Amino acid sequence: MPLRTGSHSPAGFGKSLPERGLLLLMVLVFLEGSVLPLGAASSPDISHQANLDDHKAAHEGHNSTKKPFPVLALEYDRVQIPFEISLWVLLASLMKLGFHLIPRLSSIVPESCLLIVVGLLVGGLIKLAGEEVPPVLDSRLFFLCLLPPIILDAGYFLPIRPFMENLGTILMFAVVGTLWNAFFIGGVLYGVTQIQPANPSSLNQIELLPCLLFGSIISAVDPVAVLAVFEEIHINELLHILVFGESLLNDAVTVVLYHLFEEYAGVGTVTLLDGILGVISFLVVALGGVLVGAIYGILAAFTSRFTSHTRVIEPLFVFVYSYMAYLSAEIFHLSGIMALIACGAVMRPYVEANISHKSHTTIKYFLKMWSSVSETLIFIFLGVATVDGPHAWNWTFVTVTVILCLVARVIGVVGLTFVINKFRIVKLTTKDQFIIAYGGLRGAIAFSLGFLLNEDHFPMRKMFLTAIITVIFFTVFVQGMTIKPLVELLAVKKKQEAKRSINEEIHTQFLDHLLTGIEDICGHYGHHHWKDKLNRFNKKYVKKCLIAGERSKEPQLIAFYHKMEMKQAIELVESGGGSKLPSAVPSTVSMQNIQPKKPPPAKATERALPQLPKGREEEIRKILRSNLQRTRQRLRSYNRHTLVADPYEDGFSELLIKKQKMVELEKKIKEMSNYLTVPAAPPDSPTMRRARLASGRDTDFKPAQQQKGNKNCSDPQAYSVKPVSDSVPTIQVDLASPQSPDSVNLLDEFKHAGQQQPQVEDQGLMMKPPSGQSGPNKPHEADQARDQQKLTRCLSDPGPSADEDEDEPFLP
Amino acid sequence: MGSRASTLLREEEIEEIKKETGFSHSQITRLYSRFTSLDKGENGTLSREDFQRIPELAINPLGDRIINAFFPEGEDQVNFRGFMRTLAHFRPIEDNEKSRNPTASEPLNSRTNKLLFAFRLYDLDRDDKISRDELLQVLRMMVGVNISDEQLGSIADRTIQEADTNGDSSISFNEFIKVLEKVDVEQKMSIRFLH
Repeated sequence: MPLRTGSHSPAGFGKSLPERGLLLLMVLVFLEGSVLPLGAASSPDISHQANLDDHKAAHEGHNSTKKPFPVLALEYDRVQIPFEISLWVLLASLMKLGFHLIPRLSSIVPESCLLIVVGLLVGGLIKLAGEEVPPVLDSRLFFLCLLPPIILDAGYFLPIRPFMENLGTILMFAVVGTLWNAFFIGGVLYGVTQIQPANPSSLNQIELLPCLLFGSIISAVDPVAVLAVFEEIHINELLHILVFGESLLNDAVTVVLYHLFEEYAGVGTVTLLDGILGVISFLVVALGGVLVGAIYGILAAFTSRFTSHTRVIEPLFVFVYSYMAYLSAEIFHLSGIMALIACGAVMRPYVEANISHKSHTTIKYFLKMWSSVSETLIFIFLGVATVDGPHAWNWTFVTVTVILCLVARVIGVVGLTFVINKFRIVKLTTKDQFIIAYGGLRGAIAFSLGFLLNEDHFPMRKMFLTAIITVIFFTVFVQGMTIKPLVELLAVKKKQEAKRSINEEIHTQFLDHLLTGIEDICGHYGHHHWKDKLNRFNKKYVKKCLIAGERSKEPQLIAFYHKMEMKQAIELVESGGGSKLPSAVPSTVSMQNIQPKKPPPAKATERALPQLPKGREEEIRKILRSNLQRTRQRLRSYNRHTLVADPYEDGFSELLIKKQKMVELEKKIKEMSNYLTVPAAPPDSPTMRRARLASGRDTDFKPAQQQKGNKNCSDPQAYSVKPVSDSVPTIQVDLASPQSPDSVNLLDEFKHAGQQQPQVEDQGLMMKPPSGQSGPNKPHEADQARDQQKLTRCLSDPGPSADEDEDEPFLP
Repeated sequence: MGSRASTLLREEEIEEIKKETGFSHSQITRLYSRFTSLDKGENGTLSREDFQRIPELAINPLGDRIINAFFPEGEDQVNFRGFMRTLAHFRPIEDNEKSRNPTASEPLNSRTNKLLFAFRLYDLDRDDKISRDELLQVLRMMVGVNISDEQLGSIADRTIQEADTNGDSSISFNEFIKVLEKVDVEQKMSIRFLH
């Protein structure tokens, strides 16, 4: 220990943070390494002791001699397993934390490498302590607990459009590429083992089928490793989806090949019939997996349709249905990975339309959390398992394997690209091919599959495992570390960070329709034609079944627009611009410009709204705060099953409406700048006032269900952008005090009415006795809204027709 | 087949079309047979009704505009050359064409020309700008009838705000190009015409 700490930093803390981080890491590793064996060591003792004690106590119970009551007892074995699991998870997470504290390290070495090193260290420590290393990469644990979260995370957030557009290419790489790899590696290895050197070694005993089996295990590109490494290099979407898609879809091939060769390795021969059965089996495995996943996905979407009253458990449905899909597929030896991907991809559009915003966030973060922890654990366990062994090193076998993997991959990619490019519109360049070949990383799946092999059937299992581990290490370390500089060197196109703008969305849809039309004119039933048909089917039948209520009819464009507006509103509030909404002119804030900093200041020439001086704003803020607090205090009693309504969540939708009104009103103001000094009191003021109240009421008291979808349609009449009607429009600004401090002299039609009110600031200007108090809640909420509206609202006369409709709803 | 003799494609014509549009011989003949199958009147030209007879086009929101794009200004009939000229915009861009002599006139399927074709579908009055009204019309066609005018209006406003760099409240062709620079137009606006 002193050696290690000495080499890193001079003794003593209080040095810079990276050094501290490193020290912390070492301490943690040491702790972890020591606690586990201690736990393992002490438990038998303790349990033994406990047994003795029990015995004694029982014995003594019979004799009823009194023993002093044990104030403090130690009983570890009861909690041993959960304790150790938690300790591992904690270690994994702390490691992750630690790496990011050390800035330089995380940019040079990919996280996966570091985690394997940590695993090696921990394994080494355990071995040093003389204890037996727990079999952490047990296949059941891996396939049932560690792998699903990662795959679900990948499947749920799979970018469907690029995936579908490149599906042909991906399938070619996944199926044909993996087959090629498996047979090439297996065959050449067999050839190598058959070479009789001067001194025959144990190698010569390996037959063809085990070699092929080994080839099929080692040839599959591993999604976990690919994800881990590609996350950090940010290459363009096309390459990412190609390599990643390949790693997901080759699972079916791997499953079939593995089972096929494992079954018949004992027998020794594989006939043509078996080969054909293998092909059929492949189709069954792949399509069956997808079907199972799709069924569960539809079930999940259907369930989510009814969850509007129990929002709390919405995420649970997503997780459980997906996991069940995986397990169900595994029952029949179908491809669990494909089932999981299909389930996530199928359910996502419908579930997202149905669940609340919070559930969406929950799902996103839980998935990310679990997949992150899983990934970390997998790599650490890889390191531990390496130390554990069992190993049988054979120079020839291992080196030949490593070289063959590289060579096979390169040849496979180049050959396949040559064929694929004949069918692609956008061809794959040499650079692309290089990245695809270089990104073929192997990982823990290969190791687990090797681990599963039965020692009796496969006496060379140890050698296989060693070779697999070496290949994994090679790809993860060498290829993982060098891919980033290579990407820079080759100037491969990077991922574009900016979010999709509304322009891109509109024009993309436009182009879709255009291309579909052209395809129809040419009589060419291509890509667009089928996509259009699927969309139409989706809109007509599926959405109606699976999406609740109004959202089922919402066109994609509108949904996208809503999402964008919501995001922008949230960002605006987070950046502190919420109460300053009047001064944030939306026209200068576009999606491209959204930064955490404040939106750019308004252009002075275009503003007609009076600027509130600082003091006024402070007052208003105080009013808001106190009103909001009052609302909060009047909460219902605690109920575990419902989410307490967050006042700010309602506030967002209001912000959106206000922003929208703002934009429209600003336009109107520009148009109507001549009418600013309109004289007072048109004859229909009571009705106008009621109209305003009524429309105001509509925006305030919106039931929760409507708040998501229909915020923009709630009061179409109050703020319709009609051309300037012959009735004189009035612009009124509700200020907290009658005195508008600014130069623009906007006449306030209700100023005199307003001045009559005693405490204008505490009570809504407009909620007057004729309406009566319709409940204790309403005035306050109206206050709160009213105050906010005082800041932002400029009213335009909705016109006489609006009044008649608005009359009824308001008066109780 | 006797009455059709006058409308059969001659070799010189095929060559001319090949030079102008870049399609291959087999592609041209294939498209010619499609042209004749659409041409119910058998007079060697297509009218608007011929296009409208295509069932999928009727349910396409942009159907009418696409049909209009085939017909040159003010005319009601389009012959095979015009048909191919319009379709040439959708030919995939080939690598060898990219490196061609830049002084030669741009091929019909270059990225700029593809975008110009799309732009002209928005810009009906050909004033080289997509105004708010034109945008609203297209949005209304794509979105259907359930959405209110204000909502569409705000989407249109937002769209123009994002794209407009010179402040004229409309989208010019250059702004249009800029907005779509991240979109892979070469792939999105190309059809793989079978050989």
